[in-house]
Amino acid sequence: MPYLSKITLNPRRRAAVSLLANPHRLHAAVLNGLAVQPVTERVLWRLENNRPHQAEVLVLTESRPSWAQLVEDAGWPGADGGDPLIADYTPLLDRLAHGREFGFRLTANPVHNVLAPARPSEQQAARLKEGADKGGRPRGFRLAHRTVAQQIGWLLQRCERHGFTIPDATATPPAPGLREPAADDREPSPGPAVAVVGRDILRFSKRKDGPRVTLSTATFEGRLRVTDPDALRACLLGGIGPAKGYGQGLLTLAPLRTTEEVTHG
Amino acid sequence: MTGTDYAVLLLRLAAPLQSWGGPSRYNRRETRPQPTKSGVLGLLAAAEGRDRAASIADLVGLRLGVRVDQPGSLLRDYHTYSDYRGVPLLSAKTNAKGQQTRTTPAKYTGVTQRFYLQDAVFVVALRGPKPLVAGLEKAVRHPVHPLSLGRRSCPPTGPVSLGLRPDTGLEEALKEVPWKAGEHRRRQVRDATVSLEATVEDPAGDHLAVDVPDTYDLKTGTTFGRRAVRHLWVTVPTGHAEPPQSAQDTGPTGQSGHDPFALLGW
Repeated sequence: MPYLSKITLNPRRRAAVSLLANPHRLHAAVLNGLAVQPVTERVLWRLENNRPHQAEVLVLTESRPSWAQLVEDAGWPGADGGDPLIADYTPLLDRLAHGREFGFRLTANPVHNVLAPARPSEQQAARLKEGADKGGRPRGFRLAHRTVAQQIGWLLQRCERHGFTIPDATATPPAPGLREPAADDREPSPGPAVAVVGRDILRFSKRKDGPRVTLSTATFEGRLRVTDPDALRACLLGGIGPAKGYGQGLLTLAPLRTTEEVTHG
Repeated sequence: MTGTDYAVLLLRLAAPLQSWGGPSRYNRRETRPQPTKSGVLGLLAAAEGRDRAASIADLVGLRLGVRVDQPGSLLRDYHTYSDYRGVPLLSAKTNAKGQQTRTTPAKYTGVTQRFYLQDAVFVVALRGPKPLVAGLEKAVRHPVHPLSLGRRSCPPTGPVSLGLRPDTGLEEALKEVPWKAGEHRRRQVRDATVSLEATVEDPAGDHLAVDVPDTYDLKTGTTFGRRAVRHLWVTVPTGHAEPPQSAQDTGPTGQSGHDPFALLGW
C-alpha cells in the first residue's frame, strides 16, 4: 500500500541546510525513513517551497515510513505544524477514471539522447574519439533540455504513454471589437494547459572530491486528463523521467482549481 | 526604575535611496540591508543639532528594533574622481615640509564604489527613558539639521516620526505598527497578512551587530562597538480583505497551493 508523506524542514537548522544543499544527502535521509533495508522499492520525493521560511519534502513510498529521525534532526520536533503528514495513497489511485481531470505538479529532469553533439565538450570529444577508434556504434550522450519550449515539448511528448493528455487551456475570447477581425479569422489557440513555474540547475557532488552531478530541472504545473488509468497509476508510483533519486519525477495530482475565472481587481 | 519611565519612539525610514554603512574602508562604501544603530543615532543627533564632537552616551543607551517593511534592492554607484587641472592625484605620503606629494607613477583617476538601497521602507523602534525619547520625537519633527538616511544625499520621503508609544517591548511595538510599504508593493501582495523580517536589540540575542558608534567626531573617527541582536518575523495585516478560500492559492511567487493531500481524504 503506497503512502504519501510531507515532512517540514526547518531551514534555520544546520542539518536541514546540509540536506537542502545536496539532493544526494536528502535522498539518503529519505531512504533512512524506511525500516526495510536495503531499500529495494521505488521511492519518489520532491522538494517544495510553497511557503516562506519552510521547506517541505513530499515523499511517496510503498511501505509505511517513519520520519521521527528526520524531524528530530532537521525539522521542528514537537511543534505545532511540525509533525509529518502521512496519508494512504490508495484513495487517489482508486479514483482515477478515464476522462477525469486533475491539476498536477511535476518536477522533472527533461533530457534527450544525442548521438553526436554539435559542439562537443572536451570529455564528449574524447569519448567520441574513443568510440570511433573502437569502431561500431558509439553510445549517445544524455543532454538536458535547457529552454522552456524544449522542456514543455518533452513533457507533451511522453504524456500519452503515461496515460494522460494535457488539454488546451481555456482562453477567454476578447471582447467584440477589441481584436482586428481581418487579421486572422480563426481563434488564436491558447496552447496546452501547462506552464513551467520553476527552473533550476542543480550542481552537487556525491562525496567530497567525488564526481559532480549537474541536473537541469523544470517544475511543471497544469491540468491533465486521464486517458489510461492503469498507465497513469503506474506513472504516479514509478515517476517520470530520469534522476528520480535526486528528487525528480514525482507527479502529484490535486483538485482542479476553479479560480481561473476569478480575476483579481 | 519602573517600566513607566520608558517609552518607545517609532520612525518610518523611506526614501528613493538609503545607505547604511557599517565599518567600511577606503573606496568601497557598502550598505547594510537594514538601518544601523550608528546611522539612526546619527539622524537623531542631527535632528537635535548636536555638534560632531558632542557626547552621544545617552543615545547609545537606546534599544533599537528595525522592521523591514519593504526590503528594496541594491544599487551600485560607480564613481570616478580626478583633478580638474589635469595634474596627478595626491598620494598618502608627505614631503619634508609636511605637504602631500602627488602620486608617482602618476594616477589621474580614482574610482570609488558606493552602494545604496533603492526603494526600501523600514520601521524603526527606539526604547529609552521617556524624557529623552520625547525630546527626540520633537527634534525629529523640528530638526535643526536636514535629516538624511545614512548619507547626506539620501533625504527621507514623508514624515519620519510615527510618534511615541507608551512603554512596551520593541517586539510588541513593531507588531502593532501598520504596514508602511509603498503603493506599488501593496498592489503586489494579495494576502491578508504579510510576514516581515525584523531585528531587535536583545542582550540574550544570538547574533552580533557591529554598529554601535562611540563618537561622530571627525578628528578621531568612529570606532564601532558590538551589540547582541535577535532576528524574528513579524506578521502584519496588509489591509486587503481576506481573499476567498479558493483564490488564496495564487501567491506572488507564482507558486500555487497545489495540495496533493486534498484527494487523499486527509
